[in-house]
Amino acid sequence: MITQGIEEKTFWLNLGPQHPSTHGVLRVLLEMDGEYIASAEPVIGYGHRAHEHMAENRNYHQFLPNMGRVDYLHALAYNHGYCMAVEKLIGVQVPERAEYIRVITNEFNRITSHLLWFGAYLMDLGAFTPFLYCFDDREHILDLLDSITGSRLTYCFFRFGGVPKDIDDDFISGTRAFIKRLRSRWTDYHNLVTKNVIFIHRAKGVGIFTKEQCQLYGITGPSLRGSGIPYDIRKSEPYSAYPAFNFEIPVGENGDIYDRYLVRLEEMEQSCRIIEQALDKLPNGPIMADKVPKRIKPAAGEVYVAVETARGEFGTYIVSNGDIKPYRIKLRVPSFSNLSLMVESFKDNLVADVVAILGSIDVVIPEIDR
Amino acid sequence: METKTGQPLIHLGVLEEALNLARANSLWPLTFGLACCAIEMMAAGASRFDLDRFGAGVFRPSPRQSDLMIVAGTISKKMAPAIVRLWDQMPAPKWVIAMGNCAISGGPFYYENQYAIVPGADLIIPVDVYVPGCPPRPEGLIEGILMLEEKITKRGRLRKFRDVNR
Amino acid sequence: MLTDSIPQALSPLNLEKVAPGDYAKTGYHLEVTAAPEQMPAVAQAMLNQGCFLESLTAVHTSKEAFTLVYHFANFYELCRTAVHAILPDGAEAPTISHIIPAADWYEREVYDLFGIKFSGHPNLKRLLLPEDAEIHPLRKEFAGEEAKAEAPK
Repeated sequence: MITQGIEEKTFWLNLGPQHPSTHGVLRVLLEMDGEYIASAEPVIGYGHRAHEHMAENRNYHQFLPNMGRVDYLHALAYNHGYCMAVEKLIGVQVPERAEYIRVITNEFNRITSHLLWFGAYLMDLGAFTPFLYCFDDREHILDLLDSITGSRLTYCFFRFGGVPKDIDDDFISGTRAFIKRLRSRWTDYHNLVTKNVIFIHRAKGVGIFTKEQCQLYGITGPSLRGSGIPYDIRKSEPYSAYPAFNFEIPVGENGDIYDRYLVRLEEMEQSCRIIEQALDKLPNGPIMADKVPKRIKPAAGEVYVAVETARGEFGTYIVSNGDIKPYRIKLRVPSFSNLSLMVESFKDNLVADVVAILGSIDVVIPEIDR
Repeated sequence: METKTGQPLIHLGVLEEALNLARANSLWPLTFGLACCAIEMMAAGASRFDLDRFGAGVFRPSPRQSDLMIVAGTISKKMAPAIVRLWDQMPAPKWVIAMGNCAISGGPFYYENQYAIVPGADLIIPVDVYVPGCPPRPEGLIEGILMLEEKITKRGRLRKFRDVNR
Repeated sequence: MLTDSIPQALSPLNLEKVAPGDYAKTGYHLEVTAAPEQMPAVAQAMLNQGCFLESLTAVHTSKEAFTLVYHFANFYELCRTAVHAILPDGAEAPTISHIIPAADWYEREVYDLFGIKFSGHPNLKRLLLPEDAEIHPLRKEFAGEEAKAEAPK
């Protein structure tokens, strides 16, 4: 390549906000040096729906449906975190059967979120078949969840003090049959993707997050566990019925895309284990706490509750001043910190790797924009 | 605004019926998922509720190659100029489906003191079909697409199978 | 134990309050109150203890002051620390983004929603609202689009 007398300049490439990798509306301004990225600047806010401002204009009950829309792929975990925070504020104890139902539906939702990530990410990389396989599995789970929660995607199933509807025998037998079927699908997925030479070339050694970066940027979730740090709130800060179950935290080694992918696939299997144990040990009893006030008027104070979602740690920070409306709610979402590491990880990578790394972090933009 | 989308410059008579039939049977949507409804749009295009059997399964990422924009999700004020620009870039004849409550009227995010969203897609672009729901089931989106096909061809589409209670 | 080593690491900074928190009621193991000027030193001390920044936000507590709230947690040992720093209205807070890069976007978000400026921040632009917006919506006196006569909280 002749470079004498030619002044090489970088040019700006605009990725988004409308682009086929359907994470939502993200815009990244890429400064390109040929095919290599010199710097990247993400522009977010295209999905800003003012959840936090809405929280100050709504009472605690009216804000509950918003939580399903913050991250619609794992909506039940966000429901769970918010309900736990309010229950802590008003001092209500959730009965055990309700906790088990919460865990079962939560883990099912985690599997659907990972399945959708699997299909959508591989479609970003160019493989269309896994998308159809995993949406098929996902539809079975959505039918099961639809029968008790009433929704397919943006759930609003938990209430302060428990759950509104009990699970019946149809659900239990359907779940057991489905988990058996799902376990036979892991071989399909591994045969299709994990040993695929194109995927290995695109994923191994690309987008490495080091442990120091993870600490500096506050990364949580499978992106963190792929780098070798076994931090999962279900084990480090157990909540709800999780202490009763035996499950492992899959951890990667190198911190590249391949490890994050394997961590998510293994997490789905661990979720199946949790659901089976929960069905075996399901206690009888009430599904709603006794004395839950009809008007939630917590005492003045603040609370922070963290739960583990499919993307990482979701924290609810509520400040109450004794009124029926919250004074301030801050939603700490995992994709916010995870995405801010992206800027550093894009440098000196090819533009094709940008899509690969962005998808492997598994971000949902409406939760960043809240 | 109807003239920009619906009426062609030259009327070709009977050939138009054939052309409209061709356009209705092969609507190419623009991949335009903004928020939660995008997932149901993807599910409508996936294996269980196949959109490909209606000819509408070819989602094009570029507005120049598509003729149907499914606005799936909440329109924030920051995104609204981009939506108008994308709609302008689509070649006529083009249609718009407003999918989900947010695209119809702001949905669950419209309240008195709100500052962040545009309450409805029809405030910025002309909408042909409204599909309510939060999010609408994929069957709802398919019903919306079939209704749009009825609008394009001006004759019924699969009425025998859709109108269960007739 | 972090609940001992963190107060030890913070004691040379002479903070206003470093006390154990009521975990069952608030979810914090340690509650710290500091002045905004001391925050870079606090952030460095927490980083040296192996903690990461969980969240950074602000609350419009009264007409004249904001409270900046920093949450720190640790990957290996359960210990959540909440640091509250009271900032008078109109004052600038020092940034901690040169020590903890995660704070970069959090501080931009606080500037966007509250109008609090962070001195020394490399790129203090709006994050969530459009770049040319003139409102800071989470301030209590913000009345929204259809502004009626509003009563600040």
